[in-house]
Amino acid sequence: MTFAQAVRAPHVRRVQRRPLRQAVHRRAADPRTALRSASWEVRSFLLVSGVIVAGFLLVLLYLAQATAVSAAGYEAQRLLAQRDEIRRQNALLEIESARLDSPARIEAAAQRIGLVRAATIRVVPAVEIAAKR
Amino acid sequence: MTATISRARLRVLFAFFAVASLVLSARLAYWQTIGRSELLGQATEQVRSDLVLAAHRGVIRDRGGAILATTVELRSLYAIPGRVADRGATAAALAPILGERPDVLRAALESGAEWLYLRRRLPEETANRIAALRMEGLGFEKEPKRLYPNGMIGAQVLGFVNDDGLGQYGVEGRYDDMLRGMPGRLVVERDPANRELALGLRTGVNAKDGQEVVLTLDLAIQTAVERELAAAMQREQAASGSVVVLDPRDGAVRALASSPTYDPSRVGAATNEALRDRAISWTYEPGSTMKAITIAAALDKGVVTPKTSYNDVGYAVIGGRVLSNALGKVYGPTTVAQVLERSQNAGAVFVASKLGAPDLRSYLEAFGFGAPTGVDLAAETTGRVRPLAEWYPVDLGTVSFGQGLSITPLQLAAAYAAIANGGTLFRPYVVASRRDADGEHRTAPAAVRRVISPQTSATLRTMLTATVDQGIANAAALRGYSVAGKTGTAQIPSDDGSYVDDAYISSFAGFVPAEDPQLVVVVVLERPQSKLLGTLPAMAAFKGIATDALRYARVQPDRP
Repeated sequence: MTFAQAVRAPHVRRVQRRPLRQAVHRRAADPRTALRSASWEVRSFLLVSGVIVAGFLLVLLYLAQATAVSAAGYEAQRLLAQRDEIRRQNALLEIESARLDSPARIEAAAQRIGLVRAATIRVVPAVEIAAKR
Repeated sequence: MTATISRARLRVLFAFFAVASLVLSARLAYWQTIGRSELLGQATEQVRSDLVLAAHRGVIRDRGGAILATTVELRSLYAIPGRVADRGATAAALAPILGERPDVLRAALESGAEWLYLRRRLPEETANRIAALRMEGLGFEKEPKRLYPNGMIGAQVLGFVNDDGLGQYGVEGRYDDMLRGMPGRLVVERDPANRELALGLRTGVNAKDGQEVVLTLDLAIQTAVERELAAAMQREQAASGSVVVLDPRDGAVRALASSPTYDPSRVGAATNEALRDRAISWTYEPGSTMKAITIAAALDKGVVTPKTSYNDVGYAVIGGRVLSNALGKVYGPTTVAQVLERSQNAGAVFVASKLGAPDLRSYLEAFGFGAPTGVDLAAETTGRVRPLAEWYPVDLGTVSFGQGLSITPLQLAAAYAAIANGGTLFRPYVVASRRDADGEHRTAPAAVRRVISPQTSATLRTMLTATVDQGIANAAALRGYSVAGKTGTAQIPSDDGSYVDDAYISSFAGFVPAEDPQLVVVVVLERPQSKLLGTLPAMAAFKGIATDALRYARVQPDRP
């Protein structure tokens, strides 16, 4: 049974229970009233259907939004973890760079390849440079 | 044929459903109102996680920005034995990578523990190799570790961080509160996969990272100091040694080393003696380096001049005791300047006698002996200069040449810095600046007091320069630079109140360039094999340090 049939049913039952000849005759004889009655039923049907569909769409929209936010949250977490890992790798590289720059390591490496410390380093005094200018 | 249902049965059925509906409704109403909090609490408990957010410990840098200490997160390997399919195979695969015996690893996996660490804070390469195996039942957890990229260089200044994350000794200990920061807290809801829910509860307080600290230390000078100290220790088989390098213009510590030392990343293997920073936590009787202080006091008080003379007979009698020159040498007529050049004990007693005990004691105090220098490092000791009331008459003589009082190498360096800079005693300091969210905070040099006049300072600089140029400290002379300094050979007190036979503490305290001092260097060696000639290796260490430091700082030579 459709919604329109369900709405119409009580009238039908009432008419059948009390078969007033004049009334039946009058209704059958007035097509405008019948049309108005049918139009009201269609409108009601459309209204209720529209509300149901709109509600359904709103729920769908909410679910889609919640899913999108949740997915974005997971993506944000993934990116944060990626950022933290890159920072960690950066810190490890900084440590490695500092270790390689260590004067003690450089001195030891220089000795391994046979370099020796300069006995003297000639320094040109600033006053001499100034005098030549 | 149609079945009929009696009205009575229908009523019973209706009544049953009505009562059931009422009961259910009442229960529902209860859980929605009165019992709501309880249900909410239980639900939240299932998904909520309460985390402590660790604060990153601050980085320590040298004055040039080189990293001296920093914290990184390393991966720790854990196992859930219940999920390890083949424990024997797992142990065999891990053993060569971890450098462990397979049976030890297998025993750990079969220990009955539900969860255990197999190795904590792995090197990155090792962790990568294990991760590549993709073994079931194994996992990684990140844990912070303090790393020192220069190894043992500067260990005594830096200190270390213990397993509880607390700084110990040195800068790590002294500035622990600033370096450590404040941990935060995060309360979030998680899904069954342990991921944070974007739409769930999320409250907490962010962690406040520790401050970055920049030291006055210079890594290049520190490296030279540690190299020269290690060489001197090895040559002389000394019991211990320490070196302090200060900038006399403001008291900044450019280098500080102590031997024996330790590796801050392997503190567990260090002995108690190795953990002791001898430059600030160890005292000794300084010997003849104190003659410069005695003469500075007498010059400043005006009781002698560099040309004041006396007749040296090889000894001095004071308080009924005879105090002799080293090796009993007799010098005859001697000026005060020559007392320094030759390091005559009898001459120091002569000068001290002119000064008097109260003034000598007062100047010792003014130079900072007997009190902490206030350096910003943990565990500084004071040394001891006895109160005047406890002095015997002979103490005036012994103290004048550095016996009968105890000092730290840093105190001596600070006192020589006062002589070098024109007479002002500065508080030595190690932290040049610290950086937090509000910006950079620089340490202002702290002048403690004026100890001697600029004239006295200049006179003493000349006398100490002559001591190096033509006196007992000639081995400390540097080509191209004027050097001022004084040697010290001190006897070591024994437990019975006398002195240990044939064992000495040798030292040298000096500054360069003497005309415009930029570095004060104090080298101390305990019980060198050279015994009375132990000042020679101390001066050799001084030369090596000063040569490197002057080159590195591009200080112009002041001599041809």
